[in-house]
Amino acid sequence: MFLTYLSSHIMKQEPMMKKHNEIIESEIGETMKLLDEMRPLEVHHLFRVRLMERVEREFGEGAGLAGGRMGNRLDFRLAFMVLLLVVNLGSAIVSLVDGNQQIASTVSELLDGQDDEYNSQEFAYYDQNSLTGAEGTQTP
Amino acid sequence: MRSKEELFKSLVAEHQEMVINTCYRFVFNREDAEDLAQDVFVEIFRSLDQFREEAKLSTWIYRIAVTKSLDHLRRMKRKKRFSSLKRMIGVSDPSEDIAAPLNDNPAEKLAGSERLSILQHALNALPESQKTAFLLSKQEGYSNQEIADILKTSVSAVESLVHRAKKNLHDKLYSYYKEH
Repeated sequence: MFLTYLSSHIMKQEPMMKKHNEIIESEIGETMKLLDEMRPLEVHHLFRVRLMERVEREFGEGAGLAGGRMGNRLDFRLAFMVLLLVVNLGSAIVSLVDGNQQIASTVSELLDGQDDEYNSQEFAYYDQNSLTGAEGTQTP
Repeated sequence: MRSKEELFKSLVAEHQEMVINTCYRFVFNREDAEDLAQDVFVEIFRSLDQFREEAKLSTWIYRIAVTKSLDHLRRMKRKKRFSSLKRMIGVSDPSEDIAAPLNDNPAEKLAGSERLSILQHALNALPESQKTAFLLSKQEGYSNQEIADILKTSVSAVESLVHRAKKNLHDKLYSYYKEH
């Protein structure tokens, strides 16, 4: 009983499904047809004029086109070289200033150290002795 | 220098129609196609000295046209994603809401812009190689050999790409029309 009902239900559904599919397929066909129906465009009469104007604008004038490009290339190179030079000089100056400060501090430290050494008690003693000795030799 | 200019002018005269129509196949819009064609020729002028005669000059030109068109579509996709993101966070440009004017596309006049936008959407969902091979195969003037040269692949690969593109496109359209 149930099987008969199911089969009759499917039998009823099948044509509907088929019809639905046919509609979808025809829609797809219509949509795909758009590509085949696309007629080629005719070029606008000002297209070439506009293009040549743009080329003139971007690359310079007439015979100078390639020269302009070369010039641009050279300008870029020159600018890059100048930038490198500035960076190098900058880093050299920074390291030089830093080095000078270090040297100055080292020298001052050395001088301080020497001052300390030569003003120490031992040296003071020898100085005193030498001074007294010298005085002693001078006095008859 | 003069000869370069002369060569360029003759190239434009010879290939402008094919270049514009190639771009048009990808973007479905006359203004965008003309702008892209200008970009293509400017690029050609810029790199004409670098052209190696490994490929035919026409193949080289059409390859540039395809690349520029695909770049344009990628840009549009990014823009769309970005504007939907902006809409999501509540920052939207009012100029984006202004509808684009209908162009003089005969197919559009014939079937309405809705069907065309469905097709465009389905095409844009295809992988780039499939889309390129399929669209070029639909355009008059391109043989399978030429398409293979443009894509730097073999004729059999082009045939396979076109076949897969048709199937994918059919499936995408089928699922669209089933839902709507």
